[in-house]
Amino acid sequence: MAIKVKIVERPVDEVSYIRSTMKGMALTFKHIFKEKVTTQYPEEKAPISPRWRGTHRMLTTETGKAKCVACGLCPTVCPANCIKLVPGEDEQGNRYPLVFEIDEFRCIFCGYCQEVCPEEAIHVGRHYENSEYSRAGFVYDLERLTSQTHPVCEMWDPEDPKGE
Amino acid sequence: MAETKMVSLTIEGRAVSVPEGTTILEAAKQVGVLIPHYCYHPGLPVAGVCRMCLVEVEKAPKLAPSCATTVADGQVVHVHSDKSLDARKGVLEMLLINHPLDCPICDQSGECELQDYTFQEGRNDSRYREPKRFNPSEDFGGDIVYVPNRCILCTRCVRFMDDVAHDTVLNVSERGDRAVIGKFEGKDLTNVWAGNVVDLCPVGALLSKDFLNKARAWELDRAASICPNCTQGCNVMIETRENQVVRMRPRPNEEVNAFFMCDYGRLNYRWMNERQRAETPLVKMNGKLVAADWDVAVPAAAKLLTGNRAHIVASPMLSNESLYLLTQLIDTSKGAGVFRVAEGEEVPLPGVEDLALRRDRAANVYGAEMLGFKKTNDVFAGAGKGDVLVVVGEDFDGLDASSISNAGDVILIGPAMPNWIAEKAAVVLPTTNFAEEEGTVTNLRGRVQRFSQAKAAPGLSRPTWLVLGDLLGAIGKQSQFFLPSDVFGKLASSREEFAGLSYDKLGFKGLPVLNAKAGAA
Repeated sequence: MAIKVKIVERPVDEVSYIRSTMKGMALTFKHIFKEKVTTQYPEEKAPISPRWRGTHRMLTTETGKAKCVACGLCPTVCPANCIKLVPGEDEQGNRYPLVFEIDEFRCIFCGYCQEVCPEEAIHVGRHYENSEYSRAGFVYDLERLTSQTHPVCEMWDPEDPKGE
Repeated sequence: MAETKMVSLTIEGRAVSVPEGTTILEAAKQVGVLIPHYCYHPGLPVAGVCRMCLVEVEKAPKLAPSCATTVADGQVVHVHSDKSLDARKGVLEMLLINHPLDCPICDQSGECELQDYTFQEGRNDSRYREPKRFNPSEDFGGDIVYVPNRCILCTRCVRFMDDVAHDTVLNVSERGDRAVIGKFEGKDLTNVWAGNVVDLCPVGALLSKDFLNKARAWELDRAASICPNCTQGCNVMIETRENQVVRMRPRPNEEVNAFFMCDYGRLNYRWMNERQRAETPLVKMNGKLVAADWDVAVPAAAKLLTGNRAHIVASPMLSNESLYLLTQLIDTSKGAGVFRVAEGEEVPLPGVEDLALRRDRAANVYGAEMLGFKKTNDVFAGAGKGDVLVVVGEDFDGLDASSISNAGDVILIGPAMPNWIAEKAAVVLPTTNFAEEEGTVTNLRGRVQRFSQAKAAPGLSRPTWLVLGDLLGAIGKQSQFFLPSDVFGKLASSREEFAGLSYDKLGFKGLPVLNAKAGAA
């Protein structure tokens, strides 16, 4: 049985696509002359906040040794339990970390470790390019933590430490 | 003796009645008010030098040091009034003038009374801008290192050495802010009881070299236990980090060790972490020991025991529960039970009645003797031809293959397994060591005390009482036990000396057995 289709008559100025196309293209061509907003990553990098919390860095003293004194506060405060620390003693009888490892996969980047550190040794970094060829590469040992050079997070503005 | 007169007073609005002569500080403890203090320690004579325990007593002209003030009828004491809080805040500020800010590297951090009270009652910041006094740290000999910068001169250590250990080694040298704890010329803290000054020190000034930089106080897991290193049976806390025993500290028990323990016991914990040991049940098949399941190994051992006389070599480190199950094994097989014990010099602590590092260096010598085991030097001598030799918990120190030449089959039950005995053994049943199981031991005064599990055992090893219970079950003597308290219940019901005792009644302070020898022998 044939189906009867009701054909509604519409005015041409409402159904013509030409007008809409012209309107759309006008908007498109207008953008050619506007300022460009696309960031050309990786040649160009977007600025990140001074409080960005990325993968860790261990700061060192003038002699190149890690500032860490193995006090054990960061593994204690870490909510993700990603820091492994074994304390030891060096030749001068000073306390220092024999083993200091951070599992960056487990880390939730809360920044508590930096906040709690009494020696300002461990820092979260202003850094986000973290690819590795193996999962094991994401367990950063002391050597890796001290040799990294990326800038570190500023928990507060040094000009205005109390945020007044 | 005349009836002790009771005195009623009010502390922090709480009425309390204590015997005459009690100090305010001790009375306050009874109503649950801890008055901060440094120089006072219940095990030492009162000095009253730290001024930390100042409290306000109504109608008294000035604040009273509560450690040295005895209670009086009708006294009204305010511990947390503005006046006393202010005084203590002042004391803390003075103490912190020369105290270094090195909590991150200080071993006491986390269990430091200076930290605790400063956090509770002290100032938030320091008003002192001048450089702090500095003295290099000093080795005090023995196990102890002294860090003078952290010292608050409470003199607990000096009083312990003078009045409790009766070995005058320490003094307060210099005067005023130069004062430090010094040691007399030519003397060292080598006294066997000297290690207690580390526990007594409220700050991190006296530290144990053995524990130095090993762990932080808050990382440790603690288990109430008994020191297994001599027959005194000092109550201790076994403290572990990541399943490794890192130190033992005394647990107060007025009846046994007061607040102290000796260095021999304190430092002799490494055997609890021993890694070279039996971990899987082994059964001899075609002349070779092969790993087997518990379900195979226990019946194999039971088969060897049926119909044969058993010569049982027990260890005096075993709990009463394990020894009791062994006596059942002796009864069934008409055998004999012997043990040997390492001996050393007896070193008493003069300031505490009936406390000494005892000659017999094992936990349960008295319990083993009470349950009918005989002490001997040559433990294997009694084993006749064809006897089954059952060696339980023995450490094999100083023994070798030649000593067991005439025995028949050997069943080895225990944590230690040197190669020479493994070659002879027909069945090996690995068990946990003292720190890895639960049970009771009886000290030389006949006091039964509980110890609890401090760490997990490696491999497939099982608690000794469980293995022995299963073995007896396989022989057909009795049903299985599921808890050490069940074994103890059986022991209490079948042995007159233990009658009426149970784990609940013993608590963690212990109780003497019936007709226990009292006092100094």
